[in-house]
Amino acid sequence: MTETPARAAPFASLLGICKSFAATCAVDDVSIDIYEGQVLALLGENGAGKSTLMKLLYGVHEPDRGKIIVDGPGENPISSPLDAMRLGIGMVFQNFALIPALSVRENLLLAWPDTPVVIKKIKPQNDPVLKKLYEIAPQIDPFQKVGSLSVGEQQLVELCKILNLSTRLVILDEPTSVLTPAEAERLHGFVRSLAENGVGVVFITHKFSDVKACADRIAIMRRGQLIEDVEAQSIDHDGLVRAVMGTDATSRADPPGPPKSDQPRLQIRGLSAHSRNEVLEDINLNIASGEIFAIAGVSGNGQSLLAEVVAGVHQLDDGDVLLDGTSIARHASAQIMKPHVAYIPEAPRINGCVEDLDLGLNLALRDLSTVGTKPLANVRAELEKFDVRPPDPAKKAGDLSGGNLQKLVIARELADYGKAVLAVYPTMGLDIEATKAVYARIFSMAAAGAAVLWISEELDDMLESAHTIAVMRSGHIVEQFKNSHHLTRQKIGALMTGAHDA
Amino acid sequence: MKAWISSVGAPTALTCAAFTLVTAVFFISIGQPAIKTIADMMVFAVGDSYSLSETLVKTIPIMMCALATAIPGRLGLISVGAEGQLHVGAIFGTAVMLVLPESFGLLGLCLVLVAAAIGGTLFGFIPGVLRVRLGINETITTLVMNYIGVLFVSALVYGPWRDPANQGWPATKSFPEDLILPFFFGTRVHAGLVIAIGIAVLLHLQFHRGTWSRQIKVLSGNRKVGETFGLNYAFTALLLMCLGGAVAGLAGIFEASAIQGRLQPGLSAGFGLTGFLVAWLSRHEPLMIVPVSFLVAGLISAGDALQLFAKIPAASSTILQGLLFATALAVPGLIKRYRGRYGN
Repeated sequence: MTETPARAAPFASLLGICKSFAATCAVDDVSIDIYEGQVLALLGENGAGKSTLMKLLYGVHEPDRGKIIVDGPGENPISSPLDAMRLGIGMVFQNFALIPALSVRENLLLAWPDTPVVIKKIKPQNDPVLKKLYEIAPQIDPFQKVGSLSVGEQQLVELCKILNLSTRLVILDEPTSVLTPAEAERLHGFVRSLAENGVGVVFITHKFSDVKACADRIAIMRRGQLIEDVEAQSIDHDGLVRAVMGTDATSRADPPGPPKSDQPRLQIRGLSAHSRNEVLEDINLNIASGEIFAIAGVSGNGQSLLAEVVAGVHQLDDGDVLLDGTSIARHASAQIMKPHVAYIPEAPRINGCVEDLDLGLNLALRDLSTVGTKPLANVRAELEKFDVRPPDPAKKAGDLSGGNLQKLVIARELADYGKAVLAVYPTMGLDIEATKAVYARIFSMAAAGAAVLWISEELDDMLESAHTIAVMRSGHIVEQFKNSHHLTRQKIGALMTGAHDA
Repeated sequence: MKAWISSVGAPTALTCAAFTLVTAVFFISIGQPAIKTIADMMVFAVGDSYSLSETLVKTIPIMMCALATAIPGRLGLISVGAEGQLHVGAIFGTAVMLVLPESFGLLGLCLVLVAAAIGGTLFGFIPGVLRVRLGINETITTLVMNYIGVLFVSALVYGPWRDPANQGWPATKSFPEDLILPFFFGTRVHAGLVIAIGIAVLLHLQFHRGTWSRQIKVLSGNRKVGETFGLNYAFTALLLMCLGGAVAGLAGIFEASAIQGRLQPGLSAGFGLTGFLVAWLSRHEPLMIVPVSFLVAGLISAGDALQLFAKIPAASSTILQGLLFATALAVPGLIKRYRGRYGN
C-alpha cells in the first residue's frame, strides 16, 4: 500500500451527519473526510449504516442534521443524485441500473451527457463513449445485450457508465458480494488503478479480504456510529474484527462430526434436466443422514438448476430425487409440490420471498398451502433469533437489505429440524457473525440427522466443514472427494475451471 | 403542510379538489358558467329522489363490472372482459326466460340468475384456461372476446330471438314480472344493488382474512415462490377469472331484465370499460369500489341530464369521466413523489 501523501483539502467532508428512518437511527452523528486518489474502505456489519451514509452523500436521502461540504468551501448543496453527479460523485449500487434488453453501448449512451441527438455508427475503436470500456474491460463486446453478461461484467459496465461522467469520487456498495473470487480480484486491481489515477474510491464492504486487497484507509461503522477511522497499515486483522464486532469473536463455527451411518437419506439418481440456460446430465449423488455434501463450481454450471430440481421447483426430464426412498421431484410442470426440504435458494429476493408482503407472512410461507393455518404468533422472537434487522413483523420484505433478506429466508427454512437441508450460497451478503450463526445452525441440523446439500463458492469454508466435496462443471459432476487435509483449494479450483484438462 | 399531506385522507381530499378545479376549467373553456354548471351537476346527480335513484341504477352495473375486474386483478391478472361477460350473462339468463313456462315464481328467478352467472363464468373460463395452459395474455383475449359477446346479442335479437310481436324492433319478448328482481319504493333501483354490495363485502372479507387471501397475495407477489411452497397458481387464476365472469354475468341479466325489460342491443352503456377504470382507481379493493362507482355513476347521470337541460355537448360526460380518471391517477402519484422527496 502506498503512503498516503499529505493532501491539501478533502474532496468531500461530512460533518455531524444524523439520519433516522421512522424510529431507527441509521446514521448517528458521523463526521468523515473523503479524499481524491485514496481508497476508503467503509467496513461494518449488515445494517451498520454504511450504505445509508453513502446514500446521504450521493443525495438519495437528505440528512436530518449535519452538513455535507463538497469540493472546497463553496456552497455545493446535494439534494438529489443529479447534484451529486454534477459534482463528480458516482455510485454503483448493489442492484445495477442497467437495461438488460439493450446493448452495452446503448446503456452507456443512455447515461452519457455528450450523447448526440442522432447516434451515428462509428467504429467502436473511435467511439468516445466506449473509450473507458476499452480501458477497463476490453473483453466485453459493446454490442452484446447487457442481459447476457455475467454479474461481474455488468458491474464493470455500470462502473464505465459512472466513469464516463468524469467522476472524481466513486462509491461502490458491497461490490464483491455478487462476484466470484476471480472477478473480485480483478475488481480490487481495478480499484487500485482508479486511485492511482487520482479518483477517490469509497468501498463499502463487510469482507476483510476486500480491505486487505485494496484499502488505503479504513473507516468502521457499528450501529450507525463511526467507530474507527485509520490508515490501513495501522490496524491488523484482529484489530479489525474487534472494531467491527465490538467483541473478540472467533471466526468460524465448529464443524460437525462425521455422519453416523452410510445409509443414504437424500438420493439423486440419473438426474437430467434443462432450463433456459443450464443443463444437467445424469447426476448421481447419495447423501447420508448427517452428511454435509458440498458442491463447488463456478456459478452458471448447473448448480442453480440442480438446486431447483432437488427443491421440487423445476421440472426434471429424467431420473429421480428421493428423500428416505420417496420421490420429491417435480415430474410434470403442472404438479403441485409441497416443500420437503429446507431450501435456501440463490438470489432470495427473487426466489425466496414475496417482496410486497410483510415479514410475518414471509416467515409463514412454508405452512401456506395447509388450509386453516394462522400466521406465526411470535414473529418478532423468530426475527430476533436470526438477527433480522429491523425485527418488525409489519415491515415489507422488499425493504430489507440483501443480508437481512438472506437471514429472513434462513429464519424460515432453518427454524425447524428437518430431514434435509438444501443451501445455495447460504452466507451470501452476510457479515462474520451472521455467517457463523448460519453455519452453526446448518451443522447442528446435520448433527441431528439431516442430509445437507450445500452449493457454494466459498472453498475455504467447504474444505473446513464439508464431509464430501463434489465439483460441478457444465452440468456434470466431474469429481467427488471425501474431504481430507490432502484436498487443497488449488486442486478444486483447477477442477472447477477445467484447467486440469489442458 | 408537510404533516397534513402525510395524512391518510390527503390524497382523496386533494383529488376531489383538483377534479373540481379541472372541471371548472373545462366548463369555462366551452363557454359555460363554471360554478353554476358544477352546482347543477350536483343537483342532477343526487339533488332529488329521482336523480338519486337514477344514479343508483347506473351504480349497479358499474360496481359489478368493477368487481369483475378486481377479482382476477387481485392475482395481478388484467381482465378487460367485463363488457363481454355482461352480455353473455344476459344471453344465458334470457335463454332460461325464453324456455321457462309462464309464472314459474321464485325458482324461475333463481334459475335465470344462475344461468346468467354461468354464462359470465364461461366467458371468464375461456381466457383463464388459455392463460394458464397456453400462456396467452388474458388482456388480449378478454378484449377480443368482448366483441364476440356484444355482437352475439345482436345476432340473436336480430335473428332467432326476435319477438314477432315487436313489429320488426330487434328485441326478445319482455321478461315476465316474476323473473325480475324486486324494485325499491317504486323507482328503477332494484335488489341488484343489495346483491352487488353484498358481493363487495364478501369479497372484502375473502381478500383480507384467512388462508386463501394470503395464498392469493403470495401468488400475485411472486408466483415462483408460491409454487415452491405448494400453491396452485393455475387453479387460483382460473377460479378468479371464472368468479369475475360470474359477477359481470349477473350485472348483464340485471340490466336486461330489470332495467330494459328485454334483451336488446345497447344493453350496456360502456359499463365494462367504466367498471375497469373504477376497479383500477379503487386499487382492486372491493370496499373502495362501492363509493367510487357511485361517484362515477353520479357523474354520468349528471352529464346526461346537463346535455338535455343545459345544452352542453353530449361528449362532456365522457370528457369529465376522462378528467376524473386522469386526476385520480395523477394526484396520488404526485403526493407519493412529494412524500418520497421529504423522506416520509
